[in-house]
Amino acid sequence: MSQLYNIIEPNVISEEMVQKAVEEQSQDEAQQLAKREGINFKDVTELQLSFRNILQIDNLWQFENLTKLQLDNNIIEKIEALESLVHLLWLDLSFNNIEVIEGLDTLVKLQDLSLYNNRISKIEHMDALQDLQIFSIGKNNLAILEDVIYLRRFKNLRTLNLAGNPLCDNEQYAPFTVAHLPELVYLDFKLVSDTMREAAILKYQYSTEPLKQVEAQALAQLEEKQAKQNELEYHKTAFVEYLNGSFLFESMYGEDAEAAKLAYLPGVDDLLQAYRKEFVSVCENLFNYGLKQHEKREAEVSDFYESLHEALTANQEQGRKIILEFENRNKRTLDEIQNVSSYDIAESKLAEYNEDILQLSETLMTLEMQTADQLEELIKDFERNIAVLVSTFIENVQGMMAQCRDLENRHHEKLLEISINTLEKSIKNELDKDLPDDVRMLFVDETTVVNAVNASHDMHLLKIDSREGDILSNARRWQASVTEKALQNEIDRNRNRVKEIIQYIDHLQEELENTETPEPPE
Amino acid sequence: MEVLKENEEEEQREEEELKALKISDKQHDVERKLSVDQACTPNDVPDFDWSSIDTSQLPSSYKTNSPKEKKLLCIADNFLQQYAHLCPDREPLLLHPINECGVEKFVSTTVRPTLLPYTELFHWEGCASFVSDYLTMEPLKSPIAPPSSLYSPTTILKYQRGNCFDFSVLLCSMLIGAGYDAYCVNGYATHNLCTMDETLEVCPLLRKPQKRQVPKEREKSSKYRVKPPPDLQSKFELQQEAKKEAETEAAREKKEREEEEKARVSQQGPPYPESPGATAETQETEKPKRDPLHGLRVHAWVLVLSGKREVPETFFINPFTGNSHSTTDEQFLGIESVWNHRNYWVNMQDCWNGCKDLIFDLGDSIRWEFMLLETDKPHLLFLDVKEEEELFDRDMDNAEKEEDRRFDMPPSWVAPIQISPREFETRTPQGRKVILYKKAKLEKWAPYLNRNGLVQRLTVYADSHYTKVVEVREWFKNREDKLEMREVNKQTQLTTEHFHPGHLLGLKAHIYTSMEPETERTMEFYNEARVDGLQKRVENANEMTEYFVGRDDFLYFRHVEFGKRVKKIHIAGTRTDINPRPIVQIKECFHRNVEKPADEDVAERVFLTTEERINLTYHLNDKYITASKKNFLKGAESDRKGNEIIMTPEMCTTYQAGSSETDKKQLHLYKLLQKLTEEEKQLKHEVWESAAEVLEILKTREDEAADIKLTVSIYDKERNEERRQEYEAMDNLMEDDLLGQEGQDLDYLAPFLIQTGNIEKMSKGQALCIKDNCLTDFKHRLTHKANIIQAHLQKEVEELQKKDQWYQENQNELSTEDEADFLAYCSETMFRIRVLALRLKREKQMAPQKYLALEEKLRKDPRLNMYLSHP
Repeated sequence: MSQLYNIIEPNVISEEMVQKAVEEQSQDEAQQLAKREGINFKDVTELQLSFRNILQIDNLWQFENLTKLQLDNNIIEKIEALESLVHLLWLDLSFNNIEVIEGLDTLVKLQDLSLYNNRISKIEHMDALQDLQIFSIGKNNLAILEDVIYLRRFKNLRTLNLAGNPLCDNEQYAPFTVAHLPELVYLDFKLVSDTMREAAILKYQYSTEPLKQVEAQALAQLEEKQAKQNELEYHKTAFVEYLNGSFLFESMYGEDAEAAKLAYLPGVDDLLQAYRKEFVSVCENLFNYGLKQHEKREAEVSDFYESLHEALTANQEQGRKIILEFENRNKRTLDEIQNVSSYDIAESKLAEYNEDILQLSETLMTLEMQTADQLEELIKDFERNIAVLVSTFIENVQGMMAQCRDLENRHHEKLLEISINTLEKSIKNELDKDLPDDVRMLFVDETTVVNAVNASHDMHLLKIDSREGDILSNARRWQASVTEKALQNEIDRNRNRVKEIIQYIDHLQEELENTETPEPPE
Repeated sequence: MEVLKENEEEEQREEEELKALKISDKQHDVERKLSVDQACTPNDVPDFDWSSIDTSQLPSSYKTNSPKEKKLLCIADNFLQQYAHLCPDREPLLLHPINECGVEKFVSTTVRPTLLPYTELFHWEGCASFVSDYLTMEPLKSPIAPPSSLYSPTTILKYQRGNCFDFSVLLCSMLIGAGYDAYCVNGYATHNLCTMDETLEVCPLLRKPQKRQVPKEREKSSKYRVKPPPDLQSKFELQQEAKKEAETEAAREKKEREEEEKARVSQQGPPYPESPGATAETQETEKPKRDPLHGLRVHAWVLVLSGKREVPETFFINPFTGNSHSTTDEQFLGIESVWNHRNYWVNMQDCWNGCKDLIFDLGDSIRWEFMLLETDKPHLLFLDVKEEEELFDRDMDNAEKEEDRRFDMPPSWVAPIQISPREFETRTPQGRKVILYKKAKLEKWAPYLNRNGLVQRLTVYADSHYTKVVEVREWFKNREDKLEMREVNKQTQLTTEHFHPGHLLGLKAHIYTSMEPETERTMEFYNEARVDGLQKRVENANEMTEYFVGRDDFLYFRHVEFGKRVKKIHIAGTRTDINPRPIVQIKECFHRNVEKPADEDVAERVFLTTEERINLTYHLNDKYITASKKNFLKGAESDRKGNEIIMTPEMCTTYQAGSSETDKKQLHLYKLLQKLTEEEKQLKHEVWESAAEVLEILKTREDEAADIKLTVSIYDKERNEERRQEYEAMDNLMEDDLLGQEGQDLDYLAPFLIQTGNIEKMSKGQALCIKDNCLTDFKHRLTHKANIIQAHLQKEVEELQKKDQWYQENQNELSTEDEADFLAYCSETMFRIRVLALRLKREKQMAPQKYLALEEKLRKDPRLNMYLSHP
């Protein structure tokens, strides 16, 4: 064996090799054809590169649509350069010198993976292969039986081959594997019998049970997180995220050091509580209103697209009908023209047909123009309605934000009053002994106090303003994007249709030109 | 006493009134007699003499009245008197007509609720159609009076004939048995109903199923509706045109209406209620004259109240036809009384408007006067006791009355209704029944009566004199070829045959004019039963169209055009029948396969075999109006065998919707063409097979028609000859087995013969020895047996003695229970001892006899005989 390796030089997959391999796949005449005009690698779905003494994988990036790749019986040492083969279903890397499983993260569709007869000592880096059904990793260096647990994440795994690994020497190998992979149908090319499975599951009940629990917990957590994320997304599309609660209020006070100090003043706490309550209720109102408006907008958009779709289908049908009529009418015309004996008749028929084609072109174009006009109007309507919706939404949001500001102003006034009072007390030295020093520092003179209160107030207003600004800009952006999209769709559609019509007419005319007519009389 | 007096007075008054009535009746009578004669339409039912029936075999309950029944009759009489007193102007009630033995029986007791063991009779439809089929209708003796006699349902069933009351009582008995809240109704109906004249009705089989109008989905009014393109036609011109059209239309309609009106007037007297089936269509038929007895004709039918058995709405059943009618049906003109097996109610509501306004709440004692006070009617329970009493006060002396009313209805005097499976199956008298409908004749037969399995035939005529046949429909049952129905249109000669599932090759229907192959025909198939999913195949001389359902390759339509059969050169030895018509064109259509992109999903492919062309049309892509196309011209493909087939760009014209560049390589096209060529070959074969299949079906059908076989269920012991033989054979075998067990003697000799070894050659001594051994052994056995019995006996006796001793010792301390136990034990043991003693005695007696018998037998045994007999 070693001699053989010495004689044949190790290879890297090169363009030539690939080319040759691809060409060899088709047979006989097809091969000739293939050679003559070349093959687009994008169209190749299967590729076999076995027994080629390949050391390094390369030059496969063009095969985007490959579903089956055979690289068995080479001397590959590292799985690499397979990232672009995202459609791969079947990958065979058996009989190579691979030591580590890696580089499979993009092959999410992979169903059948063979790593038989390699030098792998750990099952790892396969989390992306969620569709895996058949996995062969026999004759490797797997030694730790517990590694099998890793395979539990493949919910579709039905066939597994582990034979020939050191871990198989363990007596418990088979029951352990079956117990931890209860969905397995074939293990090491043998059918897993029901009795064996039951016995194994019973035996390892205590070790699999916690595993199951942990998995279930993880799943539940994931789902919960997902649900929360989804909800947030939904709120975001309604532009009112984080408004269903005290989030905005907390953020107003979060960075406000002055407010924290002022909170120590007598009476401020109650004031703050009341303020908070009112503020949150306004926020809740805003939130609910936002959701409602969102639904309204969604309904409007879906309504529009429904009608649009209806109109387009009707239009498509109409166009289809016209074309079918034309085709039925002229089904045999070309043949007739070819077979007509006299030149004159042929010529006149030709002219007639040509006329008909032009006529068809005319009709189709008119129809398209008409549709385009109709749709343009439709889109204008839609734009108007969306604009109205958004502007009412903005107005109302502004109103509610004004409420917030009012609340803040009122709160500010009261706070100021209390501060002044406290200041007076402080001057009279009647201040509470419990107050922390930095709070005491505020009450040095009036300006300091008023400044502190004002600073806090300004900060709050700023927060409210910025939140309002966010909502408004998001809403406007949405409006722009929705209308833009509708318009763009229509433009694309119109272009495509016109292109299609022109192509079709060209095709017809070309066909006509290619028709052999009888020779004109001398 | 006063009460009595009052009663007497009342009775007197009643009598007077009755007399008066009679007088007035007499005035009527003259008219009536006349009309009665008229009304008795000559019916084709042969007269049957009811007086000749044999009543001697009937049970005694038929011939006598039990005391309870007698009391019931008294109550009924009393009720009748009061009724006549209260409602002097109403007809006398039918309360206790005489039965077949001449005994007066109350009508409610004639109803015998019975559930018959046939699944069809668990529903009212089945019961009603059975009664209407099973009995032959007899008209009432007098069409305007209830009959004077009412026979038991059993007698009616036995003779298979009866009048409307007999029909109703039988049907009512079966319905109540099946759990329906059913009542017999004595009332008035139209002439047609009373005489079972259905010639004005459209045959129910011909009635078109009512089209349920599916409410259209309401158009969603959307603000985004495309405005239609401007209409450039002149509105005025359109208006003018529409106006003109409307005028002509109006004129035509008017004319039609006038004609109709005329016809209508000529047909019927205005007050005669129009039966729904008889509309203006029947202009040429002789319309019945105005019935002089309208409203007086007595009829009996069945009322089924809603509630039980999930009956949603109260309805009538006409027992003659078995049809259900709404309670508002105009053919029912009034109700006198209703009864079931529990009670009798008299209708106190006005019937001036037929039965339309009647309310069927029998618990309402103002609308319905009951005869017996019932406790299990829920409606009555709600009434206050006081109210109830008031109610009775209104009538008369309540104390006595109430007692009377609390009287339970005695059980029916009628023997249980029985229908044998044979009778049930045969149904109609003599197994045949003919009903005439409007322009149609319906004949029914019992299954297996006709050799070809015919059970029903409907002949539709063009006129009402039943001369010009338009259409014949025949229904079959139990046919081996699964033929269910055959429809022959006499005008077009088009025959349609329908088959049950299970026919060879899944045939479902066959429409044809002649059985010649390659003529016009349509075959429908049960596509679920076929591998190829074929649903329908339509053929004519040079075309064949096949429709498929549910195929994996999405094929749903295939059309084949055949050319003229080439006058082929007859090569000696070739068979003429294998000469398929040349195929000119095959066209296939496919449904959209969503898994493929539309550009690659073939919608239609046409193989023009003579021109060597293949045209492919693909499915429409989203939003596109032109479909991609590929046209192959195979002309240059293979000139001669062995030549290389090279794909040239000229061979294929492609139109790809939406993209100008033909990025497909020739290789692809070549592969495609290769595939298509292969498929074309396959397809030709398939077409040929289809044609062969048609021939096969035709042949099978011909064979089947020539030799009609009927299937017999394996559970049908009477008809399934094979099965019966099998069964009988099995029976015999079982009997044999039993006999064998008893009769077969044990071979006493066998063990001894084996001991000696060589059976063939035995000396006389040996034989004697065997015989002796056998006999001694038998003797031992007998003594042993006797000993065993003896031992048992002794044991029992000892035990008894022990027990007795124990009893004697502890007698004083025993409880009564223990004592009873002891006594029981004693008697049991004594019994056992007796039995054992008896057996022992018999054994002793029998032993010598048995011994002698065995000796005799051994002497005669051929195995020993040959040695023993020779000296």
